Amino acid sequence: MNRFSTFLLRCIPCALILVPCGLSAQEHSYAPSDIENGRGLYQANCLGCHGNNADAVEGANLSTGRFRRASSDEDLIRLIREGIPNTLMIPKTNLSYGDTRAIVAFLRALPGGGALVADEREVRIGDASRGEALFFSQQTQCSTCHGVNGGGNLLSPDLGNVGATRTPGTLEQSMIDPMAEVRAGQRFYQVTDRQGTTIRGLLLNQDTHSVQLLNENERLAAYNKDNLESHGFIPSPMPSYLDVLSPDEVADLVAYMISLKGDAE
Amino acid sequence: MRNLIKPFVLACLLSTASQLVGAQVSPERLLNAEQEPESWLLYGGDYDSQRHTDLDQITRDNVDQLELKWVWQNRAPDGASQKFEATPLVVDGVMYTVAAPNNVVAIDPVSGRLFWIYNYTPSLDARLCCGRVNRGLAMHGNSLFMGTIDGKLVKLDARKGEPEWIIDVAPPELGYALTLAPLIIGDKVIVGPAGGEYGIRGFIAAYDVNTGEELWRFHTVPGPGEPGFESWEDPEQEAWKTGGGSIWQTGSYDAELNLTYWGVGNPGPDWNGDSRPGDNLYTESVVALNPDTGELAWHYQFTPHDEMDYDATQAAVLVDMNWQGEERKVMLWANRNGVFYVLDRESGEFLMGEPFVSVNWLSGFDEAGRPIRALYPSEEGTFIMPNNQGATNWYPPSYSPVTELFYVPTWLDTFSVYTKRPVDYTPGQQYVGAFPTMAMPALGVNAVNQRTPEEGLGAIQAINPQNGEVVWRHVMNNVTDSGVLSTASNLVFAGGREGHFYGLDAETGEELWRQTLGGQIASGPMSYQIDGRQYIAVSAGAGLFVFALPE
Repeated sequence: MNRFSTFLLRCIPCALILVPCGLSAQEHSYAPSDIENGRGLYQANCLGCHGNNADAVEGANLSTGRFRRASSDEDLIRLIREGIPNTLMIPKTNLSYGDTRAIVAFLRALPGGGALVADEREVRIGDASRGEALFFSQQTQCSTCHGVNGGGNLLSPDLGNVGATRTPGTLEQSMIDPMAEVRAGQRFYQVTDRQGTTIRGLLLNQDTHSVQLLNENERLAAYNKDNLESHGFIPSPMPSYLDVLSPDEVADLVAYMISLKGDAE
Repeated sequence: MRNLIKPFVLACLLSTASQLVGAQVSPERLLNAEQEPESWLLYGGDYDSQRHTDLDQITRDNVDQLELKWVWQNRAPDGASQKFEATPLVVDGVMYTVAAPNNVVAIDPVSGRLFWIYNYTPSLDARLCCGRVNRGLAMHGNSLFMGTIDGKLVKLDARKGEPEWIIDVAPPELGYALTLAPLIIGDKVIVGPAGGEYGIRGFIAAYDVNTGEELWRFHTVPGPGEPGFESWEDPEQEAWKTGGGSIWQTGSYDAELNLTYWGVGNPGPDWNGDSRPGDNLYTESVVALNPDTGELAWHYQFTPHDEMDYDATQAAVLVDMNWQGEERKVMLWANRNGVFYVLDRESGEFLMGEPFVSVNWLSGFDEAGRPIRALYPSEEGTFIMPNNQGATNWYPPSYSPVTELFYVPTWLDTFSVYTKRPVDYTPGQQYVGAFPTMAMPALGVNAVNQRTPEEGLGAIQAINPQNGEVVWRHVMNNVTDSGVLSTASNLVFAGGREGHFYGLDAETGEELWRQTLGGQIASGPMSYQIDGRQYIAVSAGAGLFVFALPE
């Protein structure tokens, strides 16, 4: 019976990442309870066709915050309740207006949906103009890697819209403890070939036999794993600013970043 | 002219005299399916569901010479929801299969050209939790049988692709759907409905192959007065009405014992069992039924009072073997709940249960073979392994009597956080509770994979049924929804979501051949032989791919 209770400790951090967060919103303003309620209603009523990530139906990707047949949240609510004639989108007559609104809240809270994923952390928010100066300063060198609506390098996320998609808490965490959560799409990978040459890059894709990177020279490069000496995930090159910046300076940078709303509606 | 007309008239007379004169697939032929390895007469190869072929032209020495013979492209599936899950039949030189959701094709298995296509448009009432799919056909006489996602059973003339009759099995507007390949025993066609996420009350039912008349129905959730009803302990005696117990994988059959074995799906609602206290029989069980009457001979429940969605909808693999020193008729079963089981299929006795992935929901078994529960979903969330999709699922495994190993497609060491939330029943709507967290999508849109290994990998695993030990494991960087085929020449064929199709050494797991097919493999590979040439067929993405050695 030894093979039971193999509770793998290494998995616990992942589990924490996956536990549903409370949510909040700004342009599309919904209470966290609406969003959580909407998650359950989505799963019960929509997931079968639209999938876990609301992107499973071709031509009806619900995860982007842009909808072909609806321009407002009220349009969306009507569409869900009335259905789309001659399609598999049947009327959800069982859903009340409030239920349907909660589903829309959930869709808006998806990463691309135009609302924010929130958390419970207390975050100090300083002065955005001081933060902007810091961002472009020699002291931080943030702008060496990160662009703001352009600039920076291709391997680092452009932050021009970061205020619309991240909460103050996650922004602060990404500065003082950047490895705490590295999202898919921002993970770095390293390959070493049999000649000892090492290449690092942003992981774009992988499977059992190959890996596809955007390498440090900003070129697309693919590698056959059979031809490599070693390969694997590596820490993000994003440094921790815990010992570099004062708490006030971190607060100023957070303020600057939440001011970056890009082209969010 | 006269000479030509005479035999034609004679044939007509004969076929009216008896429906089975000249018929292709008699009940006896199905019973002896293993004597004609060139065919593939039943969903699982033959009644024991071993998915093992006696064809041995393709060997460990020449498998690396396999080449693509043809591809049949069906209309591109609708995103992740229309996976190509069917295992083809090959009968008398014709291949029959189903393109999702319910379009049947007859194909020349040498050239890949169609004889005919039967397009079926399901009702818009059809609702499915997990994909508009179909896993295959059954054949009796000159007719094919298909279940549809809108709850119907279709009988087709296999020569023309025209329907002979279509009967209602269960109401689609309440979430009942047929996704499995039917099973023919004698002159009965046996099916059951999916719909465990819609508060259905599941059943297994037999229909007359000629008339479509329902001959018996076994309720997988017993009602008042039926044995097992006492396991639904809510004082209101309401929970059984929406108790789930779906059927979405084809059963097996032991003609000598005259028992047919079926795996039963989850209880409803899935992830909060507070409204249905008790063991909730016969959900998450295997039931052994007399195919003449539908009467229950025995059952074994893998996951009593399940709240983790561990459907027991795997194929029951029947093996006659010397098990731990005694000749026995056993049933091998790698369950979605992460445990590999050996049962005595005559009595239902629990012989062994060993985990084949990391499992933490149970700590072992009591004397009677009942699992000792270690963890339950909770309001604050409980970390449970394996995850909601389980360690394996409907994807059919294989047993090789040559290596005496059991080959199972596996999701390795996954986990979910299960959180209890209130749930209410509305007819026709999902009746589930809070969806558990998962690191990978339940349905695969898998063109891009940026996950870390800790978020879960896939594997084809070889298990020794004597002790449950994993003998070898072929690890893949993504999970797998592919079935497995083993061959008499010690090969194992299988794939996964990445779209790679592998030929492995059945004894060691060594990769001997692989072909990239460019779409996820979510079906059982199979083999057939025409004019002395062995073929291997597998679907991937929207295509059916067929391989053989060079001419």
